[in-house]
Order: sequence, then C-alpha cells, then structure tokens
Amino acid sequence: MVTPNHSSESAGRELSRREFLGTTAVAGAGLLLTSCSPDSGKPVATAAEAAGKKLNVALIGCGAQGQVLLESLQVISSINLVACADIWDYNRKIVMGRMKDIGQPVKGYHDFEELLAGEKNLDAVVVATPDFWHAPVTNACLKAGLHVYCEKMMSNTIEGARSMVKTMRETGKLLQIGHQRRSNPRYLFALNKLVREAQICGRLTAAHAQWNRTVTNDLGFPKKTEIAPETLAKYGFKDMHQFRNWRWFKGLGKGPLSDLGAHQIDIFNWYFGGMPRSVMASGGTDYYKTHEWFDNAMVIYEFIQPDGGVARAFYQVQTTTSAGGGYFEMFMGDEGTIKMSENPNTCGLWREDRSTKSWDELAGKNFLRTSPTPQLAEADKVDVRETAPLIKYDIPVSFAKKIHQPHLENFFNAINGKAKLNCSGEEAFASEYVIHKAVEAVETGQKINITKEETEA
Amino acid sequence: MDAQTGRQIAMSAIHVFKHHAMATHWEIRIADEEQTYAAQAAQAAFALTDDLESKLSRFQANSEISHIAQLAPGETLQLTAPVLACLQFAEKMEAATNGAFSITAAALQTQPEKPRWSLEQFSIRCDAGKLEFDLGAIGKGFALDRMAERLREWSVEKFLLIAGGSSILAGAAPAETPGWSCGLGDDHSPQRFFLSNCSLSGSGLVVKGKHIFDPRTGQSAQRQNRAWALAETAAESDALSTACMVLADAEISKIVASEKSWLVFLEADGAEICFGGRPLPPRA
Repeated sequence: MVTPNHSSESAGRELSRREFLGTTAVAGAGLLLTSCSPDSGKPVATAAEAAGKKLNVALIGCGAQGQVLLESLQVISSINLVACADIWDYNRKIVMGRMKDIGQPVKGYHDFEELLAGEKNLDAVVVATPDFWHAPVTNACLKAGLHVYCEKMMSNTIEGARSMVKTMRETGKLLQIGHQRRSNPRYLFALNKLVREAQICGRLTAAHAQWNRTVTNDLGFPKKTEIAPETLAKYGFKDMHQFRNWRWFKGLGKGPLSDLGAHQIDIFNWYFGGMPRSVMASGGTDYYKTHEWFDNAMVIYEFIQPDGGVARAFYQVQTTTSAGGGYFEMFMGDEGTIKMSENPNTCGLWREDRSTKSWDELAGKNFLRTSPTPQLAEADKVDVRETAPLIKYDIPVSFAKKIHQPHLENFFNAINGKAKLNCSGEEAFASEYVIHKAVEAVETGQKINITKEETEA
Repeated sequence: MDAQTGRQIAMSAIHVFKHHAMATHWEIRIADEEQTYAAQAAQAAFALTDDLESKLSRFQANSEISHIAQLAPGETLQLTAPVLACLQFAEKMEAATNGAFSITAAALQTQPEKPRWSLEQFSIRCDAGKLEFDLGAIGKGFALDRMAERLREWSVEKFLLIAGGSSILAGAAPAETPGWSCGLGDDHSPQRFFLSNCSLSGSGLVVKGKHIFDPRTGQSAQRQNRAWALAETAAESDALSTACMVLADAEISKIVASEKSWLVFLEADGAEICFGGRPLPPRA
C-alpha cells in the first residue's frame, strides 16, 4: 500500500491512500505514484509462467535475516511458503512455529539439498544463509530450475558472486539480490522525482552514509541446542561460536563493511548512476579480540558526475555508540541535501538559500511536504511573536509495509511477468564489486582505481 | 531477612544486565548462572524486546501499530503473530476490566467516538474511525512475558525482569531464597514481598503526572494514589494496574473476585489496601 502524503494548498495534511488513488484533482498523482512504484519497469519473465497461480516458495536459512524476511513472506498474498531449511534445529523450529501460528504450516528440512530433493513443486527460493553459502545454494537452486532471491552480499568472494551471475544467465532463471532499498517507494521517489527530475540538490558534490553500532556481546546459543561438531565441520564451521558469529570470520563473511555497507554503498552507486572510479579506506580490527574482520572502517569513493565533475562519497561503519543519528545515506549538492533512511523519521530535505528552485512550488506539485509556517510580514511592517521555526521539508511518501516486502514482491511480480527485477544478479554484482574493493583498500592501505569493465560480471 | 524465621537470607550471585527500549530502561537479573552464558541469554531477550518495540510502538513509523493507524474503514492488514497476540490479549483485558483498560483510551482525545475493529484470522480490519492504538499500558508487560519465554528457552529459570520500574516479572527464586524481594512504591519501600513466578505492576501519577485517561469517559484518571496489580503474567498486571487508576474501589473488588489469580493493592494513607482472593506472597 503506497501512500504519498500530499501538501498542496493544505500543506502538512496527509492524504489517505484512497484519497490519493481515487482523486483526479491531485495534479500528477498518477505520475507520482508511478515514480515510487517498485514495479514500474518493463517485465522480462513470461506471464504464462505463473499468471494467476500462487507461487510455491521455500526459505533456505532460518536465522535472524531469514526470520526478518519471513515476516514479509507471511503477508505476501501471491505466494505459498511451503518449506524451510536450516542446519540448526532451533532456528528452523522458530520459523516452522511462526508459520504454524498463522495457520500455514511448512515442511522443515535440514539443508538445501534435502529441500530440493523433497520439494518438487517449488517455483522459487529465498536464500538467507551465511554469505559463504550463498553461491553454492543459489547456483544449485538455479540449476534445479528455480528462481532465486538471495540476500546480499551475493558472496564473500568476487568469484562466488560472478558464478551466480553466470548460472543465472545459463539457466535463464531470475536472480534478485536483497538490496531491498532498490524497491523502497520512498527511495524510488527520492531518486526519480527529487534527485533526477526536480534536481533539488543542484550539482551533487558529496555523499555521506553511516551505520555505527554500539558494542555487543558475541552471540551465544541455548545450551540444549548445540549442533554436533561433525555437523558444524561438514558445513564449514569450526565451532558453535563461529557458527553464531560467522559475519566476523574470514572465509565465512566479510565483516560490517560488507554486512552493513553493502546496503548503503549500493545506494551511492544507485543514486550517482554508476560505479566509482576509485576507493581509499582505513580500518582495522580495533575493538573485539575474538573477531577477524574489521570492526571499524572509513571509506571514500570518487564518482564522476554526468557533467564531468567529481563527487566524493564517505562511508563509515564503526564500533562506537548507538548515539549519533542512526543509519542513513545523505546526498549533498550545491542547492540542497537529501537524507535517506529506511526509518522515515530520519529522512529529511534541506534547501540552500541560493537554490533557484521554488520548493513551495514543488510542494504544490506533491514533490515535497512542508509544514505551515507563519506568513512573513509586508516589507514595511513586522509582527513580534514566538521564535519561528525553520521551514521543514519532508519526502511525501510512506508505505504500510515491512521494509523488505516491496523488494520481495518485486521478485515475485517479476516471476509472474508483471515487473522487471529491481536488483538483478548482474546489477548487484557491479555494486558489490566496489564493496569488495573497499575491503581490499583497508587491507592494503592503497587507493584502488576501479574501471567500469571490471565491475561487469 | 526472612520475615517468619528471622534468618538472614544468603543471596546467590546475581548478574545484572541493562538496556534501553520503549522509551524506558529495562533490566534483567539472572541468578545461579555462569556470567557469559547469562549475558548471552540476556542479549537474546533484549533483542526480542527491540523487535517487539519495532512492531508495537506507535512512535515508530514502520511499526505494525503505525500501519494499523493508517487503515481506512473497510481496510485490512495482515498481522504478525506477536502483534496479533498482543491485540487479542488487550481485548481480553478490556473485557475483564469492564472497559477500564483499553488501548484506545488516548485515541478518544482526538476522536469523537471509540474506533472499532475486528480481529480476523491473522489480520485486523478497521470498521470505523482511526485505529490509533496506544499499547503503553500493556506492551511492556507483554514484552516481559515474551522475554521470560526466551530465557526459559535458554534454560535460564531464575530471573527477575524489570521494565521501566513499573512492571516486574519474577521467574524462579534464586537458590536458598524464598523469592525476589520486591517493594511497593518508592525505593526501599517497607512494603515488600518475595516474588517468584508471577508479575507485579504499579501505576500512578507521581512520575509522569496526569497521563492516564478513563477509556469509558475520556476523562483523566480520578485516583490520586498508586495502584499495584499482581498476576501470573506481566501483560495482565500491567493492564490491570492501569485500569485500577480509573476504577472505583467497589469495581476493583468485583473484578478481582472473578479472577482468582489477581491481587490489587491500593495506596491509602501510607498503607495498602488489598483486594482479591489470591494468597499474599511471603513478606520480605
């Protein structure tokens, strides 16, 4: 349910979805809706493939991310979640229990191979295993004739990610990577209407994104749920500590710069409309003694803009305090700034006085929302009252869905021939390639140049 | 000190873990457990609290409660199991308190009539008005109950959970003690009980001022003194203590008579009046 909130003559008032969709008095409402629709692209799959029938879907990987995706899968009406797999009984039973709780029991399997052998009517799988299993699982599922939604990072190695694109091409099946902001109506609206069409930032000169996290204990596990050592070894884990904290270990994950940066550096690439020409970075395993990957990193990318100018993008992921503004991506130009986040309360727009664009006019066209402010006095008069607040502008889009839901829906709609994937394996490969290069820049301490050719799978 | 024997009670090692969520402070105390394991179990329980906040908070724009508030009459939203369970429990408590507890109490400040809804199979339908739910008087208790479940999954049985100082949920007693020593009211209250496997919640106007509205009238709570409720679950005690702020003594007496597991204490001139047939916990 997409609900742009309007602000024309009645600035600050939010229209309901019915008002938005139902009224023709709102100029350009249809176009505005299109600009933030996750499924506005040209479809690529054949409609005959699944038109009119519910897709049978399985979830592979029932850990924290799998459980987050489950909440969206539970409410998407175009699919039946029929099975799940996880080598850890504890997490698999959580997923099975939640599905049973809502009257939709699913079958549970120990691993993806058992699942593929046991489920012969699947249309697609959603993969949320540890990163180093993404490529083997995805490749096997694509080869089994299934469409795959795989969480980011595609793989902990460039080679693994490249193999996924290769298999996608060979099998002709769809591969969507879980950069869910690519289908977020607010992100789509901000890019299509505010950055590109209205160009409210003017010339983009810089970007800044962060996801700093407070110190946490390593994850543990309930005593009675330990996985047998031979099973852990079979699936590539040294012990339960490594199994529970795989993101921090080399060969399994790639640390916070990959886990969190993958989402936000992807937004740099998406909003700047191309890959950076270079990356330099600093970081280290400074805080935690039990981890292998960096717990602190600062990264600078250089992007070439369409006019030939350079824009620099700074990204940081630090072990620090949870204070400091949450997680966001901010795009700064010489006329304005857009701050984006999955948390609507963190988003914002700021206008420079030198901007020649009337943001009030843009508000009238529903590009922005602004709160009513006291009218300025005529030049020869002044009224004295309480201190007036600065005019506050907001992005006029909200949606009553879980944050992963639009991206999963885009995937299922693409299978049904109703949409184009918003983040195919090929597109994600290019975006994630420059994240692998940021990790390399930290490790080598070198500035690394990146060519367009090397970002192509 | 054991009130009956006068014997000094030896408290076992207790690990204390703190967290911020739902605009207040939370605490988990775990007894008779290895420290690292206790810390990991507490972290898992706090993670559950954060997840519940992301679903139940009306202050988070992405929460299910915020999504529900956007529903127009006739629209339906599918719910996750925890949100459905919390709303079902809220309905149960509203019925049990004859409407003195309601998650729409605050909505009546902005709407002329109480909004109406239907909880259908795993979804909610808006029937009339705006479903501006405020789970402030049940959400923390509901979260405490889920945290207790999570700790028991971890085989942690001896715990005390505290939400904002207004609701506690006691698990099994620490070794060689009759329970967790819990007082009614301010720090070092003389009115203390040893609690185990039950919950105690308090409501009042001292800390937050007039913030409780009578859902039946839309008026501010009339009771000036504190009220406490003791029950099996924290969701019950949380909601019941709030309801007691707007209920007359006779109404409270009638309500607790119908639910044998409930006890209510009302502050009165430095003492407490007790309502309900449940045996008092041991005094500390």
